[in-house]
Amino acid sequence: MSAKGRPEGELLPPGGKARSAKGAPVSAKGRPEGAPASPGATAQAARAAPPLLAATGLVKAFGGFRAVDDVAFEVAERQLTGIVGTNGAGKSTAFALVAGQLAPDAGSVTLGGDDITRLSPSARARRGLARTFQVPREFTHLTVRDNLLAAAPRTSGETLSSVFLQPRRVRAEEAAQAAIAERWLAFLNLAAVADLHAGKLSGGQKKLLELGRVLMLAPRLILLDEPFAGVNPVLIGEISARIRELNATEGIAFVIIEHNLEALKRLVSQLYVMDRGRVIAEGDPAAVLADARVQEAYMGGVI
Amino acid sequence: MTAYLVAVGIVALIYMLLTLGLNLQYGYTGLINFGHVAFFAIGAYASALLTLSGWPMAPAFAVGTLLAGLAAWPIGLLSLRLSDDYLAVVTLGFSEAVRITIQEERWLTKGVQGLPGIPRMFQSLGIGEYAEIATLALLVVVNAAAVALVVHLVRSPYGRLIQAIRDDEVAVEALGKHPARLKVQVFMVGAALAGLAGGFYAHFITYLSPDQFLPLVTFYVWIAMIIGGPGRTAGAVAGATILMVFLEGSRFTRELVPGVSEVQLASVRIAMIGLALILMTLYRPQGIFGERKE
Ligand SMILES: Nc1ncnc2c1ncn2[C@@H]1O[C@H](COP(=O)(O)OP(=O)(O)OP(=O)(O)O)[C@@H](O)[C@H]1O
Ligand SMILES: [Mg+2]
Repeated sequence: MSAKGRPEGELLPPGGKARSAKGAPVSAKGRPEGAPASPGATAQAARAAPPLLAATGLVKAFGGFRAVDDVAFEVAERQLTGIVGTNGAGKSTAFALVAGQLAPDAGSVTLGGDDITRLSPSARARRGLARTFQVPREFTHLTVRDNLLAAAPRTSGETLSSVFLQPRRVRAEEAAQAAIAERWLAFLNLAAVADLHAGKLSGGQKKLLELGRVLMLAPRLILLDEPFAGVNPVLIGEISARIRELNATEGIAFVIIEHNLEALKRLVSQLYVMDRGRVIAEGDPAAVLADARVQEAYMGGVI
Repeated sequence: MTAYLVAVGIVALIYMLLTLGLNLQYGYTGLINFGHVAFFAIGAYASALLTLSGWPMAPAFAVGTLLAGLAAWPIGLLSLRLSDDYLAVVTLGFSEAVRITIQEERWLTKGVQGLPGIPRMFQSLGIGEYAEIATLALLVVVNAAAVALVVHLVRSPYGRLIQAIRDDEVAVEALGKHPARLKVQVFMVGAALAGLAGGFYAHFITYLSPDQFLPLVTFYVWIAMIIGGPGRTAGAVAGATILMVFLEGSRFTRELVPGVSEVQLASVRIAMIGLALILMTLYRPQGIFGERKE
């Protein structure tokens, strides 16, 4: 796949967030300079811009077992971040705390400087924080296209009264969303399977489907939980290319949990290593992976 | 014979309305409702009592339908907090609570004695036996309208979202949606359809007593839905028809097989239905009309 796969024209839905997607001045580190991150962020932008996402002191215990134990991380606007760690290190639990599927026992999460710790998952999603799941949660009995359309930001067609009383308005909005969905389907190479039931897709296609679904939200930040798991090497390359492209053109930041270190290393500019609920290393991917503590804890000294 | 067929047709169409309601709840939205008969009972008793106290039939129907829908509101709210298995128990319990309330509140419902003399539909027109045919025709129209409404609903973005909720509610929430509002609404709409069915039942049977509203009715509606295939509107229609053919057909077997009592036959009937259900789940879990899944 080349840049040809990119849909023409504006990818974001019309009237979407006035965030600085394109043309925002970006420093070498990927931080926008001065450009307000969101309409309400102008005042904060005058001071030092707050990080896009910041988690501090996150704790989550299941019974007596601390799956996430005092975890902190920070993601800048437009940054690509990786999280690695052994099975059971607490990575997915950390995602659930950030995206709101789980409530933390302690700690807080901010998005663009606003405390979102107590918001519901859907409120967080509407603020531009979207996620995918380690085990894909596709809508099995809906077509691939309908999976994307189901994620379209709140439309009048989702209220009972409009469905019956304003059918024309509903149809018009639906047509607009369908056009956006069509472009994402093409972008993700899913157009050929758009009419299949999502349950029939391969594992890799389901990962793409979940990405397409969250793209419908025009998010600022996407959390991907193991996007390469069970995906063939060719498709891994393709998904990586898509992530880079979305990052460059749409300004979407990503946090990516992966066990595939090779693919991840090439993608991200910042890496966190988790072990037994804690962050044991963070920073430049190559440097972090070379760290002796990481080698011992994560690889059990294999490398 | 015509009168008999008309009567069977009326009951089948009443079951069809019930099935359309349950199918919207379970088939499309994944909401477990083992208390469907409660809303049927509320619609039936409300409409019966109002017409007996002198109301015209149309507003009595409307109030019965509305009350049934409203009665589902607290259950819908409860469904947000309960897992499927608990919801199954709670809805079943609710329907028994409704039945026992009807049984105990004699001042209103005459209890087990029952409520006789409920006005028959179209009786006042003085068209004699054609009143039943008119009822049948009206039920056909009402069912057609209900099917049209359900089809329009499930093909809308609203319908897509309720099916998404059925498939994966966590994902729906992660996409910025509020499943709660839709679940409560669907519970109420499905219950209102059951209430409407109850109105037709009351004014067709003309006599109501609590023992007509046992959980067995809910069970039959589930069977009709499963036969047709949950999440298929055409399936609900076919399922209710097949159920009725089966229930009525088994009535004739008594004449074919001498020496079987009514009670024995009732047990045999339930056993047969159980067997049919097992075979369905084994060989056609998607229902008769559902498409085959790989
Ligand atoms: N809901 C839960 N109840 C109890 N324990 C849980 C729950 N969720 C996770 N855990 C436990 O918490 C620990 C961390 O799990 P988590 O899924 O966050 O790990 P992970 O780093 O994502 O691992 P993997 O790489 O295998 O996906 C594990 O030991 C897991 O068994
Ligand atoms: Mg995980």
